[in-house]
Amino acid sequence: MKTTSFWKEFTKGMVISNPLFVLVLGLCPALAVSTSVDNALGMSIGVTFVLLGSNIIISAIRKIIPNMVRIPIFIVIIATFVTIVNLVFHAYVPSLYESLGIYLPLIVVNCIILGRAEAFASKNPLLHSIADALGISIGFMLALLIISFLRETLGTGSLSIFGANLFTLPILGEHPMAVFVLPPGAFLLMGLLLALLRRLGVIKSE
Amino acid sequence: MNNLITIFLSMALLNNFILAKFLGLCPFFGVSKKLSNALSMGVAVTLVMFIATVATWFINHYILIPFDVQYMDIVIYILVIASLVQIVEMAIKRTNLTLYNALGIYLPLITTNCAVLGITLINATEAYSLLESVVCSLGGGIGFTLVLIIMSGIRERLELADSPMSMKGLPVALLTAMLLGLTFFGFGGMI
Amino acid sequence: MKATLKKIFPVFFVTLVVFMAVALLSWTNSITKDKIEFQEEEQIQSMLGEMFPDMSRYAFEDDIYTIYSDEARLGYAFLTLGKGYGGNINILVGLENETTIKGISIISQTETPGLGARVSGSSFMDEFTGLNIGDVALTQDGGQIDAITGATISSRAVVDAVKATAVEKVKSLQEKE
Repeated sequence: MKTTSFWKEFTKGMVISNPLFVLVLGLCPALAVSTSVDNALGMSIGVTFVLLGSNIIISAIRKIIPNMVRIPIFIVIIATFVTIVNLVFHAYVPSLYESLGIYLPLIVVNCIILGRAEAFASKNPLLHSIADALGISIGFMLALLIISFLRETLGTGSLSIFGANLFTLPILGEHPMAVFVLPPGAFLLMGLLLALLRRLGVIKSE
Repeated sequence: MNNLITIFLSMALLNNFILAKFLGLCPFFGVSKKLSNALSMGVAVTLVMFIATVATWFINHYILIPFDVQYMDIVIYILVIASLVQIVEMAIKRTNLTLYNALGIYLPLITTNCAVLGITLINATEAYSLLESVVCSLGGGIGFTLVLIIMSGIRERLELADSPMSMKGLPVALLTAMLLGLTFFGFGGMI
Repeated sequence: MKATLKKIFPVFFVTLVVFMAVALLSWTNSITKDKIEFQEEEQIQSMLGEMFPDMSRYAFEDDIYTIYSDEARLGYAFLTLGKGYGGNINILVGLENETTIKGISIISQTETPGLGARVSGSSFMDEFTGLNIGDVALTQDGGQIDAITGATISSRAVVDAVKATAVEKVKSLQEKE
């Protein structure tokens, strides 16, 4: 029974409770870094680390956190993990650190992380919290990859991962639809994707 | 002086917090259905941005840099912001209960508003002087409020329009944001 | 006794958590600090190498880099900040001698993509190569640099920073001689 529960928590984060498409949390950094697949991957790794770390610690000490100060405690824990990611990225992947810019430290106010801490990790056992963190992170990464794939391909006509050019489209390669790598394009894509997912019945309409 | 005007206009219009930098999206889509709420929210956020900017500037220049503990910036900034929001929340509760109820849960959510932490990080990264930081935060806040107001006006109309089922609500709001964003690009030639 | 303990516990707990957070962060910082400084130095070094292809070593003193090949002194370089549209523009300026610019390199900028961001493009940066310091100005201001269409602010920011700092650095070099 415990294994089924783990699997359920794990998969829930990917579709039913997909953080970007369903819960619509954490849009700010998501739309900002989705200009390229590289950035999207980097951001996802950062979010995964922070979510996993904070969920684990908060779940582990959930029984002794005084209720009155729980939000500040959550914030300190999350901010600590974000700072670690910030420092490590700065030291070991400086080009990624530069392109993510202020959106990397902004993970700390990403509603996803505080939301999961408050709604789940503080009330559930360690193993389930880990499953939740992993599921939500993967859901976030999948959604972000879809958005950034579309933005980079349509907006620049080619796709590169870690400097290796994967492909360049024939017509778009020379005349890409630049609007997609610009901010309005992000709004456009997000709106259309949400509408499409609702139409397909994957998520519910209002 | 020229520099300050450029910073202000850039933050408010061309590099608008919501439309260009994607900061402050949560309240943007949540609160902006009524004009009065949008205005109050915008003013509240601008106020917090302003105070947070000043507070973190002093902390940065008199504590973080001299003691070489800049890596503590994220933790300290967010705690300062959280406390500020608590204080502002209590102040609004005491002085204007209707406003407090109207803003509801979005008031404490200013803490996680990317715009507030965002402006403090921008000021730190650009190493602005105190005056430049203040101008930057006011520009950002006013730009944020402006877009919030425009959006609420549009959304009030959208509620009555006959959108397709799957587009209702958030998708059409996002498309509106896109159009707004494209319009704001026009400000590029102004400076 | 138990009542006071219950009241103090939250405060004690918060202090403990904050203390542990600070400890963890300062430990992480001490590990990553050297690597970060090294990265920045490495980036400057590779940019200097690109600007002065015969470079074999360089020295840094009083905020000025002096570049040497095996036989001679190749020139100088320095960093400067332009006040651009979207923030600071980090520029590395190379000097061939006290009157001529060797070239410039934009290290980082946050200007508008497709407009001001084109200052990082070779077509703009190459305009500075071999230019006399006195001619470093936009053509509309009587100089030799063509501004990027639709990005006058960004272009001017770079030009102003390069010119002003070049004049300043040349002056301090002459004072040393």
